[in-house]
Amino acid sequence: MSLAATLQELKDSTAARIANASTLDELEAIRVETVGRKGVLAGAGKDMAKVAKEDRAAMGQLLNAVKSAIESALEERTNAFQAAALEARLDAEWMDLTAPAPGVQPGALHPVTQVQRYLEEVFTSMGFTVLSGPEVETEFHNFDALNIPPSHPARDMQDTFWLEGGHLLRTHTSPVQVRGMKRLGAPLRMIAPGRVFRNEEVDPSHEHTFYQLEGMMVDREVSIAHMLYFMKTLLKEIFQREVAVRLRPGYFPFVEPGFELDIQCLLCGGAGCPVCKYTGWVELLPCGLVHPNVLRAGGIDPGQWNGFAFGLGLTRLAMMRYGIDDIRLLQAGDLRFLNQFR
Amino acid sequence: MKFSANWIAELAPGLTVPPHELGALITTKTAECEGTEAYAPFLDHVRLARVVDVRPVEGSKNVYAAIDAGPLGRKNVVCGAPNCRAGILTAWVMPGAELKGGRVIGKAVVSGLESEGMLAAGDEIGVNREHEGILEFSEGAPGDPLPGISPDHIIEIDNKSLTHRPDLWGHLGMAREVAAITGLALRDPVPPVEWAGEPPLRVEIENYELCPRYSALVFENVTIAPSPLWLQYRLESIGLNPISNIVDVTNLVMAELAQPTHAFDADLLKGGVIFVRLAKAGERVQALNEEEYTLDGQALVIADAGGAEAIAGVIGGRPTGIHAGTRRVVLESANFQAASIRRTSSRLKLRTDASMRFEKAQDPGNTVRALARCWELFRLVSPGIRLVGGLVDNAAPVTPPPAIRLDLDWLNRKIGRAVAREEVEKILRSLAFVVEPDGPGALAVTPPSWRATKDISIAEDLVEEIGRMIGYASIPPRAPLVPSEPPPASPEREYQYELRRMAAAQGFTEVYNYSFLSETLAERFGFPREEHIQVLNPIARDQGLLRVSLTPRIVQNIEDNARHMDSFRLFETGNEIHKRAGSEDGLPEEIPHLAAAIFAKEGDGQAGLFELKRLAEILAPGVKVSAATGVRCFEHPRRVWTLESHGETVGRVFELHPSWCEHGRGAILDLDLAALFRLRPEPVKHKPLRRFPVSEFDLSVITGVRVEVGAVGSLLLRAGDESWLGVEFVGQYMGAPLALDEKSLSFRVTVGAADHTLSAGEITAARERAIAAVQAAGYQLRM
Repeated sequence: MSLAATLQELKDSTAARIANASTLDELEAIRVETVGRKGVLAGAGKDMAKVAKEDRAAMGQLLNAVKSAIESALEERTNAFQAAALEARLDAEWMDLTAPAPGVQPGALHPVTQVQRYLEEVFTSMGFTVLSGPEVETEFHNFDALNIPPSHPARDMQDTFWLEGGHLLRTHTSPVQVRGMKRLGAPLRMIAPGRVFRNEEVDPSHEHTFYQLEGMMVDREVSIAHMLYFMKTLLKEIFQREVAVRLRPGYFPFVEPGFELDIQCLLCGGAGCPVCKYTGWVELLPCGLVHPNVLRAGGIDPGQWNGFAFGLGLTRLAMMRYGIDDIRLLQAGDLRFLNQFR
Repeated sequence: MKFSANWIAELAPGLTVPPHELGALITTKTAECEGTEAYAPFLDHVRLARVVDVRPVEGSKNVYAAIDAGPLGRKNVVCGAPNCRAGILTAWVMPGAELKGGRVIGKAVVSGLESEGMLAAGDEIGVNREHEGILEFSEGAPGDPLPGISPDHIIEIDNKSLTHRPDLWGHLGMAREVAAITGLALRDPVPPVEWAGEPPLRVEIENYELCPRYSALVFENVTIAPSPLWLQYRLESIGLNPISNIVDVTNLVMAELAQPTHAFDADLLKGGVIFVRLAKAGERVQALNEEEYTLDGQALVIADAGGAEAIAGVIGGRPTGIHAGTRRVVLESANFQAASIRRTSSRLKLRTDASMRFEKAQDPGNTVRALARCWELFRLVSPGIRLVGGLVDNAAPVTPPPAIRLDLDWLNRKIGRAVAREEVEKILRSLAFVVEPDGPGALAVTPPSWRATKDISIAEDLVEEIGRMIGYASIPPRAPLVPSEPPPASPEREYQYELRRMAAAQGFTEVYNYSFLSETLAERFGFPREEHIQVLNPIARDQGLLRVSLTPRIVQNIEDNARHMDSFRLFETGNEIHKRAGSEDGLPEEIPHLAAAIFAKEGDGQAGLFELKRLAEILAPGVKVSAATGVRCFEHPRRVWTLESHGETVGRVFELHPSWCEHGRGAILDLDLAALFRLRPEPVKHKPLRRFPVSEFDLSVITGVRVEVGAVGSLLLRAGDESWLGVEFVGQYMGAPLALDEKSLSFRVTVGAADHTLSAGEITAARERAIAAVQAAGYQLRM
């Protein structure tokens, strides 16, 4: 057979082998055997010497054409194999992300913590600083400094846990008013959230341990109108809507005048329902203008400064926000309840 | 405190506001109304009727009564009362009346006889508490409504909101408020009396501070009998129990004028002198409530020659009390110091209608007024009664309350809106303040005596009077002018919040626990009782101590939740409360702690402990764990570690002793947040990125099985110099060819220099140093 025929034959048979190959390894073997450095075509190149001089150029061209035809067939087939392999790998890597992620679910912060934190941020944004005070208090800070001298009947308004050594568990967060004034002086805008204690039997609506948020502003000219403005702004933030409020007289020795601030019942809109005891109003916020004696106890001259103060029942607010109807759940440590607040 | 709307209307004539609206008005202007309820509305269906004929009913103790109801006609009623007899004028409940408890009276057939309505006993229609027989009236005509007994409304006012208002403990005070609110005139029920005659009795007051005034009258020819039914009804409607005419009048006057009085049987008092003095320590009084009280030397008593006969301002004595045979009466109307009464009342745990009023600081000017009113009513309820001599009145000299200067501009600034001078004057006068001009822009305001005892003494008090009467709703809210500057930061609070948030993100749910624990629990945990602060009046026996550790309640949380869940995580932040000697105000030290717990029913517990360690490293970066010494009884003795930061102990992590956690593995991490805050990392100073490559080499160290990774790791770290960039634990191996009591710990050491690439020689030297250190510590290297 002539060289040309041999080359033609090689080209055709290799093309068939490439088309039939089923693995990359087979293709590699074909490549080595045909166009490899020691392959058939390389051998054929050496045979060129035997070709007549006048045919040599045409033969060379034929040789190159066969070589490049084989190479491109190999490349094409290799690419196809690689694409298929990638496709197979991708397909094999199917996964199900609807299955739960491994590891633990996040826990929950206590509902009172969440409400407290929210309020702290609201107040901070309005220029109030957040203060803490001790849970074990002196009689002076809890009562005397707040214009509640010994034997004042207002002491009966707050059933007190007395401790050895003459101290007590604070019955309200109000003592932080005096501590705050002493520490920061006037002008002053502060809140003091925290745990308070009353010697009361526990039932679905009473706890001996609960949370309050005390607030106070002291400045040169503070009026009832200013207090109303702050209370309305605050309530709008808390309830995320305009809330109708009503101010009425309330007696707290550390403010004068003293008020109870009621909000229009959010459930019935003031028409009357069991929650508001059919009055249309819900008592929410005791407040008032700071009594001069309290300013004095805080080292502030009531001739120069005055202010307002208020107390917010954090526990009550949390119960309202989350629809909790039994106060005892808050201190019971039951994760079936607490995990709902994730 | 219960107020009768009818009574208020009698004292504020012309009042047309319906009772429910009255309650709301009082709430917005004066004191909190807790509710307004109709009292005996069925009285519209009750009439006087005369029994004209009574026939026995066979086989029954009932009688069949024919009654004459005047214009309403003659009716027949079956009645079971023993006093149902011809001739009496009684109360006839007409068919259609709905009595208390929804009991509807109709035409009924009783004992086979038709009964039209019923004849009523006192308790059935709310007149008094008698059920022995039907009511008997002495005046009125058949068919008339019951005289002085008509449907009423009871307005209940929250006692707390009356704490500062001695005058509002009587109807007259509340009527004055209502009159001021509605613009009506007040009717004073106290008649003017000209007292004449010598005092028939001497009163000796030991201490005018404790008893500023003691007034009295003496009466003779007294007849003790039941009160007229209208009087009984009035007491009953506001929750007071009718007893007998003299006592009922004293109660009625107390409910009207807020001045408690007390009636003694004059013949049972010994000697002609009444002493108001402190009790002798241990002195006893037999009280009207049939209890005996032993007094200390600070209780004020009313005594005669024989000893203490009443606890002043709190309760009278039984031996000298009014009884059926009383013929002569000493009527006391005194004023006592509020603090003293409150002290005695709370020490004796005896709160009476009298003590509740006296502890609000009653008006000394009111004692004689109450006597005048009682004298008037006594004549009504005990015909023939005579006054003996004149008024007994021993009083400390009274200093009239000073006028308060009210600057009108200041008032407007306090309120936040302008109030006209005329309006200010009108409001104050309607509340019985005396108002005089005090220069162009100010008033001199003198409070009435009943507001001057405690309630009103400074101009701020007047702001409240004006504010509430103009109506707080009339004040437009106004934004204050304040400096716009960021408030002082609260870094410790922020820090603690951050930790709580991180703990929650790691799967721990926040719990709140009580600050109390029981002595038993403290003892069980081995916390010495004397280290706790004791609650003197705990709510329950098991809450008598303040916690020195969050752990006991956390263990309780684990037990409780393990009943419902197989595995869980929880945490609490709260204060430990420790006794502290030598602090300025004697207050204890409150140390914020974070306690986190992991429980798993399955497993060997190691995973939980590592999770707690991880939490500790998240909350307190750089914290070091080392085995603890001094194991506590609730801790697993081989699984308890202390946590250190900057060489200070900041916490503890442990597994609960198996006998404390029977149904799984519970582990607790306890961190001292105060210490962690103090030691919290400073902001990091960045180091330039390394320009020259680093090198690593691995070492495997053979140790005994209980040698700690941490110990070998730090041994390696200590062996290095400044070129040692890190020692990382890679893993451990146990098994062949190692001996059974051996393990191999592998570490990767990273070395490098800032200014050049380490040479092979330098790396080898570093490795040699590490090997030398390991061998010097007695360990072999695994090749």
